[in-house]
Amino acid sequence: MKLHLKIWRQPGKDHPGKLEMYDLDGLNPDMSFLEMMDVLNDRLTREGKEPVAFEHDCREGICGSCAMAINGEPHGPNDGATTCQVYLRSFKDGETLTVEPWRARAFPVLKDLVTDRSAFDRIMQAGGFISVNTGQAPDANAMPIGKETAEQAFDAAHCIGCGACVAACRNGSAMLFVAAKVSHLGLLPQGQPERKQRVRRMVEAMDAAGFGNCSNQYACEAVCPKEISADLIARMNRDYALSLVPKL
Amino acid sequence: MSANPQFPGFLRTSIGRKWVVAVSGLFLIGFVIIHMAGNLQMFAATPDVINRYAYFLKTNPLMLWGFRLALLTAVAAHIWAALSLARENRAAKPVNYAVAGRKSRLHVTLASVTMVISGTVILGFVIFHLLHFTAQVVDRSYQEMETVLDGKAVHDVHRMVVAGFSKPLISAFYILAMGLLFFHLRHGAASVFQTIGIRDRTLSRVIESGSWALAAILFLGFSSIPVAVLLGVWKL
Repeated sequence: MKLHLKIWRQPGKDHPGKLEMYDLDGLNPDMSFLEMMDVLNDRLTREGKEPVAFEHDCREGICGSCAMAINGEPHGPNDGATTCQVYLRSFKDGETLTVEPWRARAFPVLKDLVTDRSAFDRIMQAGGFISVNTGQAPDANAMPIGKETAEQAFDAAHCIGCGACVAACRNGSAMLFVAAKVSHLGLLPQGQPERKQRVRRMVEAMDAAGFGNCSNQYACEAVCPKEISADLIARMNRDYALSLVPKL
Repeated sequence: MSANPQFPGFLRTSIGRKWVVAVSGLFLIGFVIIHMAGNLQMFAATPDVINRYAYFLKTNPLMLWGFRLALLTAVAAHIWAALSLARENRAAKPVNYAVAGRKSRLHVTLASVTMVISGTVILGFVIFHLLHFTAQVVDRSYQEMETVLDGKAVHDVHRMVVAGFSKPLISAFYILAMGLLFFHLRHGAASVFQTIGIRDRTLSRVIESGSWALAAILFLGFSSIPVAVLLGVWKL
């Protein structure tokens, strides 16, 4: 099959960028989107041109590296899938696809499709952990957790930190990401001792990184490859307010 | 509150200011519901009903001014927090995609992206409305409208309202403003629940349709009065 690609090319962080046109022919519809990018880069390298910089790692939908917007859609047109899980059969033969990096002030473009997502790391460092003494792994099921709670925590823990929520949000807000991380630990007994300071510190780190604020339009939920629910944002809002209530 | 060192910082955070918008908004929603219920007394069998209600409000200055002060505080807090959040939101998204995504716009309603515009027009309307029916300086003849109620000379609110809405342009502006209030609350009322953390999978449907219904009831309730005047339900 044939595809026309308009790809964002930007040589470096403070350089201007622009969309460049590439035509690819003879593509296999069962190729993944990233395999198509490999084909393109292979051709560019052979032509002595600079290949397109893009991030990728596991290529099975669990690492969250393959950040790119296809036709303005973070991770492309499929529901609940990352870019690496998008196959060319999802597109029409001869279609024109615009491929751009995540767009948000907190995720500056480093090169082509690669953005600096270290703001997420700073949020995690602020409170996305539990403090435990190291040693042997505890026995499985030593701490009983209700089925419902375990499921809810697991749903939140699905977040792979890819940043699609920020990329889709018209305000560049990271509230779905932060809500997922706050909820996943806040729902479990291991997360209770640091629950209040966690939500406060993570929200403060989120604000400091220059993300926007949720205006309740739920684009994040619609594009999330792990289908994290925006209801978790409500939970975070509640948790945050409760964290400010003085202990009686 | 001073016992809590976290409290002042609360107002600087994103979620803190979202709470300010939500709580002040909820208070203002409560006010418009009461306001509409008060207005609908226009349809009572005699003009005495709404005139008596207005007289009751005017003769309890402590309650009246306490409520007015609370309203003014809520309006100021609502505008301050909402605008500061909106300013940050614009700054957080300096570049947009060359092509607009379909999924990213699935739940984005026209109402939700025009909150600042609808809010600004509503603010302008409120100022006009206060000059029109509260200060009565748009048409000073309203100040002289009096009627006799239980042997006392009181302000004839019923007559003032009928006179006010007899001008089609003014009525049209009122109805337009109520249409924008419908838009503002359609998104705003539902958002209150998300921001104060009362929303989950089962509640969200109730919240969305409930907000729509509330916004629609307010629009119809408020607009019914200028419409009734224009249809000639009451004679001057």
